[in-house]
Formats: sequence, C-alpha cells, structure tokens
Amino acid sequence: MSPPRIRLHALRQSTVGHTAIGLWRHPSSRAHEYRELDYWIETARILERGCFDALFIADALGPLDVYEGRVDAALRDGIQTPTDDPLLLISAMAAATRRLGFAVTVSSTYERPYQFARKMTTLDHLTNGRIGWNIVTSALDSAARNLGLEHQIPHDERYAIAEEFMEVVYKLWEGSWEDDAVVRDVASGVFADPSRVHPIGHHGVHHHVPDIALSEPSIQRTPVLYQAGTSPAGKAFAARHAEGVFISTYRPDMARALVSDIRAAAAGEGRDPRSLRFFTIVTVIVAPTDELAAEKYADYRAYASLEGALARYSALMHIDLSALDPDEPLSYVETDGIRGMVELFTRLDDTRTWTPREIAGFVGVGGGGPVLVGSPETVADELERWMAEGDIDGFNIADPVPPVTLRDFVELVVPELQRRGRVWAHYQGETLREYFQGPGATRVAPEHPAAGYRVPAPGARSR
Amino acid sequence: MAAPPRRLLLSAFTGLGLPNHGPGLWWHPDAGRIDHNDLDAWIALARRIERDGFDLLFLADAVGTYDVYHGSRRQSVIDAIGIPSNDPSVIISALAAATTSLGLTFTSSTLQEHPFNLARKLSTLDHFSRGRVGWNIVTGYADGAARNFGLAEVGDHDARYAQAQEYVEVAYRLWEQSWEDDARRRDASSHVYADPQGVHAIDFDGDHYRVAGPHLPEPSPQRTPLLFQAGASTAGRAFAAAHAEGVFLIAHDPAGARAHIEDVRARARANGRRDDDLRFFQGLWFVIGSTVAEARRREAELLEWVSIEGVLADLSGKLGVDLAGIDLDRPLGELRVSGVQGIIDAVRERHSDTAPSFRDLVFHLLGARIVGTPELIADELAHWQDAGVDGINVMDVPAHGTFASFGEHVVPVLARRGLVPLERRAATIRAQLFGTDRLNRRHPARRLTPLGALAR
Repeated sequence: MSPPRIRLHALRQSTVGHTAIGLWRHPSSRAHEYRELDYWIETARILERGCFDALFIADALGPLDVYEGRVDAALRDGIQTPTDDPLLLISAMAAATRRLGFAVTVSSTYERPYQFARKMTTLDHLTNGRIGWNIVTSALDSAARNLGLEHQIPHDERYAIAEEFMEVVYKLWEGSWEDDAVVRDVASGVFADPSRVHPIGHHGVHHHVPDIALSEPSIQRTPVLYQAGTSPAGKAFAARHAEGVFISTYRPDMARALVSDIRAAAAGEGRDPRSLRFFTIVTVIVAPTDELAAEKYADYRAYASLEGALARYSALMHIDLSALDPDEPLSYVETDGIRGMVELFTRLDDTRTWTPREIAGFVGVGGGGPVLVGSPETVADELERWMAEGDIDGFNIADPVPPVTLRDFVELVVPELQRRGRVWAHYQGETLREYFQGPGATRVAPEHPAAGYRVPAPGARSR
Repeated sequence: MAAPPRRLLLSAFTGLGLPNHGPGLWWHPDAGRIDHNDLDAWIALARRIERDGFDLLFLADAVGTYDVYHGSRRQSVIDAIGIPSNDPSVIISALAAATTSLGLTFTSSTLQEHPFNLARKLSTLDHFSRGRVGWNIVTGYADGAARNFGLAEVGDHDARYAQAQEYVEVAYRLWEQSWEDDARRRDASSHVYADPQGVHAIDFDGDHYRVAGPHLPEPSPQRTPLLFQAGASTAGRAFAAAHAEGVFLIAHDPAGARAHIEDVRARARANGRRDDDLRFFQGLWFVIGSTVAEARRREAELLEWVSIEGVLADLSGKLGVDLAGIDLDRPLGELRVSGVQGIIDAVRERHSDTAPSFRDLVFHLLGARIVGTPELIADELAHWQDAGVDGINVMDVPAHGTFASFGEHVVPVLARRGLVPLERRAATIRAQLFGTDRLNRRHPARRLTPLGALAR
C-alpha cells in the first residue's frame, strides 16, 4: 500500500502578527498588507499552485490584554490587533482560484445561527463548494466585553451553547430544503415547491429559530467542519462534529497521543475514526541546502519579539507573564481559558522546564509548533516522520514572513513531496469535502450528526 | 448663460437573490436574469455597470420571509420573494477586486448583527475596497426576521428607531473615535506597529448595548462607510435627516419625490446639516424601445408575466397585514399598519384628491417606471432631477438584464447631455459623491462627546 497523502493547509490571520511575533519588521515581510485584496489573492494563487487543500484563516474578537493588564504590547507588535474580518476575504480569493478550499474561523458564541448559516451557504454557493468552518467558542474576556458581556461565559457552558448552535445550523443546512425543492418551472410560474421547504421549528435553551433557511441548499450543504480546541470539552466536541482537527504539538509522540484520544472518542460517537483528519501546526524554513536554511532561520529569529511572544501567550493562557520573573519555572495553573495550551506546555512535556523566557524563545518563530529547518529533502524527511510517528493526516503550515515562507514551501518542498508521491500534483475532486473524503463525497458522511437532520428522512417518502 | 447641468448619479438596485421588484416578471425570457448563486456572474455584472457609468451597486437585503399572506410563506416560496436569498456582505470583496471606482453598498439590519461585529465588517470591506463601501441602515420590518434572531417581535416602529440610534452610535464611536489618525506607525526601527497611546477603548454603556472596544480594525479610508437610508415613514425620514448621506426613495412621480426630499432636507437643516450633505436616489425602472409604441408593446408583454398573488404576498409581508381575499376596489381608508407605513402614506399622498383603493396600493408596489425611447427617458429623468433628485436607483425589473440595456441605450444620451461623466476616477465613494473621504463635521458621527483616555 502506498503511503497516505500528506494533506496541506496554510495558516493565516487577517492581522499583522499571528504565529511569529515581531517578524513583521523583517524587510521581506508583507504582513502589513493584510488589508489589501491583492496580497490575499496572491497568497491563494500560491497555495493553489501547491495543491493545498485549503487556506485556514484564524480569528479573534478581542484584543490581547492580559499581559500587563493592557493592550499595549499587542498593539506595538500588531498581535491580532488590528484585525479585519476573515469571512469577508473569501469571495475575492475564490474568484481568483478554482480549487483551493477556505477554512475560516467564526465564533459560535457571538454569531446568531440563522444569520451565520446563511453566510456560509452563500459562500458555499459562491465558491462552488470550497468552504469550511473552524468552530470556536471564543476564549477571550476582551471579546466578551466587546459583545455586551461582563466576563467570559465559563468554558464548559460555552461548549453547551455551541452544541445547540450546531443543532440549529444543521437543521438549516440539512433539514429545511429538500434536494428537489427548487423546480424553476416557468410554465407554472413556480420557482420552489413550498411542500418541500420546511420550517425548522427550533425552540431550545439558547436559540429560537422557527423558520425555513433563507438560502437554497449549496453543494456541500454543511460546510466542512473544523475544530481546534484541545481541552476535554473541546476534544469531545471535535469527536462529535469535526471533520478536520487543527492540533498544536511540538513532538510527534504527543500528536499521536492526542490524535488517538480524539479518534477513540469519535468511534464512541459512532463515527469512523479515520474520517477525522488531523493537521498539526508546523513552520517550515526551507532553502536549497541545510546550511542556507539555517542561515535563513537565524535571520528570521533575530526579529522575534520577546515581549510580543509573552503578550500572546499571556492571553492564550490567561496568565499575566509580565508579573513573573522571566526565568522562573512556570507551575501548572488552572485557568478558565485555554486549558489545552497549559497542558501542552507544562504537563505533557517533562523534558523542559518552562519559564516565560523559554516559552518566548520557543514560540518566537514557530508560534507553539515545531520549526522544521533545512533543505527540501531534510524537510520532506521530517514531514514524513511526523506523518508516520504522529498518526496525523497532514499539516497546518504557518507563514511567519508572509507570503515568502509559504512561497518557499510551494516552490521547494512541494516538488520534493510530489517526487515522493506524498502530495497531489493535481486536485482530485472539486469541493473541499471531496478532498477529505474522496471524489463524489460532497455531503457530510451518513454517520455524522448533521446527516441526522436531513429531509426527507431516509426512506420516509415513497415516490 | 445657463449653469452646466447637475450630474445625475446612477445606482444599480438589486439583491443577492431573485429580482424582487416585480413578482413573476423575471420569468420573462428576455429579462437577462443571472444565476444569483454564481460568483462569476456577479463579477461580470459589477464590471459591466462600472464600465457603463454607474456610480453604485446597491445590494438590498431582508432577513425574514414573507408569511403574512394567507398566514403562510407558501406564495413567497413559489414566487421566490425574498427567498431564496443570499447574504450580500460576503460577496463584496470579490466585487471590489474586480472594479476600481464602483461604490458597493449593501443593507444590514440593526437586528441581524451585533454593532461591534458589523462595524468591524464594514471597516474590513472599506479596507478591501479602498474606501468604496456603503451601508444601507435598515431597522428591520418583518416579524419573520425578528423571531429568527430569538426576538418575539420587532417592537413598535418608534422603539425600533430608538434602538437603531444607539446601534449607530456604537458603530460611530468605533469608526471615528477609537483609533487616532496617526496611531498606525509601522515603524520597524522603534518596534512599533501601532502606538498604544493613540488607540482607545470606547467603553459604551447604553440601554441596548455595552461595548468596550477598542475597534479591532485600524481606520479604513472612509472610516465611517457611506451611509444610506431607505424608509419613507416619519421616523425613517427623521433618521435619514440625522444620519444618511444617501437616501433611497420610491416616489411615484416627481412631485412626490420633491415633497419627500424637501421634507428630509428641512429636517436635516434643523439638525445643522446642509442641503449639499445629502444625495437622493429615486427608484425607477425602464422599458426601452426604439419608438414609444415599441416600448409600450414591450411593457404590455412584460406585465402579462406579473404574479398578482406574488405582489399581494410581498405587500402583505411589508405591511404586516394579510391581504388574502381582499377586494382590490375597496378603499384604503384610515389603514394603519405595524410594517412599512410609508408605503401607504405614499399612496395616500399620490391620490390625495381621491380615495385610494387596494388596487392603487398593488400597482404602487411595482414602482414607478418610464416607458419610451432613450431620448424620452432622458427627458423624463430631467423632470425628476428638477424635483431635487440627485440620482436614479435603477431597479432590477424585470431582471438584471435591465442594467445592460440602460447602460447601452440610455447612458449615452445622458452622457451627451453632460449628466454622466465619460471618465471616472478611482477614489473613495464618498469622495466621488461629496468630494471628501471622511464624513464632514456636521454629521452626528463627528459630533459625539469625546472619549476619555484609554482606561488603564
């Protein structure tokens, strides 16, 4: 059996500083062009040339203000602030490409499901089935304060709200319009047959949505679903809903443990554990030789911002690292924020003693994932090792000096991986879900919870 | 010597679903309807109208289904009235990438999105379009929309406008007050992308919204997008007089337009704004022929396609009154509705010397049209201009093909008369309409109380 395909996603956020803080100052970086459509369109074309499955655009709804209790450090390095809305980027990139998928982060905590479902359906129409949704519940207190709340909704309750949100959008995507509801019959003057368009009648704890979906069904109906949280509630959520899971580990054995955990939970939900695809974040610094790559990495690292990295991780961990001695070991702290991240740093890795300075140095360029540095052969070897040892399905490739890092990857690493038969030379299928499940599979798998809301229920109508 | 003619602005008025201004008419085989789900078709349309001299594309939107007629949404589904419809905000970036000067305006109701999120979306689109985005502010009229957002009903007319006032204040503070002009430094040597001293929380604490800020996007070319309003009710006019820079109206004749415009201008003056601070766009549709007789023949042929039931479903939804089984000859009387009262007021105004009937209401809904040769249409448009109209909101009746016909046949006549410029420049849409990128200081967004320093 030939080894499995390495599935490629690229990681971006519509902001200045994302995974690699401070590198916006590098002369080659075009991070500050995040407000320009041409910059995004160029990125999309680079990725499509490399047959990437999708561009993943992260998002956050509040500034990072835990470090020193204020936003100053985040603003100085443009870390997630300023930031533009990622959903609004998609159609421009879709018009400039034909196959590249788009996975976009939207918080289920601060969207109304009726409106949100319509936006995703619209984008699935406009992209011809290339849209995916990274489901987040928003961990930032600052986001809560921007949207009318005093404090963050507690972690587990956010996931309970998210569960109901999923139920509503599944009903709208799968359970409102039958496949043959749109008849477009000019003779009878009937655009759609009302008997095949159903109100969803949802009356739950958090949401009331009685009506029919506003948009007619799109090719994928439910967009490809992604999830990235690694807390216990986040893992359980991924096991039920996610088709793609973004993980963040820095050793393949840690990836394997996490992946096997979630796959087992998915099996417990009645899903094929192999139908979940895992992508681990990785930063690749590649040059024609190992030596040149090492030089490039040293050059990049010189621009990493210690304060900026601490500001980013302070927010993620809900710990003000400015209050600590930079060289004092960080003990395990139970916070209401991203517990998974704390686990990753302090519990799972017993080979390092984590101090604020250690964290800043570690995440400076790689942003919490491994940094692979070397020639195309060296990098390809490492990626193959991660695939085999980590039991993952592919990578979420960061872009610390955008779009140079991604372009280097497409120009140098992708051809090497193609020679090894590990990545596509041509897309197979046309929709994002087909890249996941194979040509022809445009809809969610029958055992996925969304499929349970389909109308008419299988076998319910005799014709 | 006569003064040179005033420019006539052109807006293409449609939405991201089936054409919605004449139920049934878009079935006509020559209507030129595009596939509303097809991105390439929308891009081609935007490029075409830009080339043909349009200033704006206006994508109207409503987030509810009409289900008042017969107490059911059945007729709306059959005639595709407001359903299926797609979200207009997500297509703007593709249209921005494909055009250079066209203004891109869409409707977002103050019900459907939190103001913090909406302000961010509009700033994002203003960045991507380099200052060409406009927001048509709607306060949401269908209970059908409200209940899908978890609200029992939309509340009474005046209460909706009070909430809308607070909504726009939140957005204004985020757009105009959160980031100072020179806060973005992008200075690698001093390691400062943005200067924290120039970025402020807004700490808004109102009856309906609490928003801390700061605004997540940095300031866009226009900061506040170009602001539009479309309601004709008293509360709507007051809102327009306070906030709108562009007003979409649907008067039935130039006299009706004049009355509407003069009323809003008088209210705007009372708010300290000047006549030149507002532009009025009259909604009209056109049937063009090489002779008047040919145009009339086309009109008659087209109207055979109208779905009267569809019009009644549309009207019932807009008024919030079930018109099922109505005798069309019954007088309107003193009818007051919870929905769009402006429609009824307009019909009464138009028929002030007689007692208007429900039939008058039905035909009113099809909107005002001009039928004739390009020259005759240009002559008629001059009457509208004389009434104070600054621009025409060309309605997608019977479907999208009308924009190309108008561009091909009518725009050249208007251009010859000096009403439409032959060349256009890439600039913000506010600069194209008013000469400046930013709102002027008479606008309420620029007259808010200053913020305190960023809370530490």
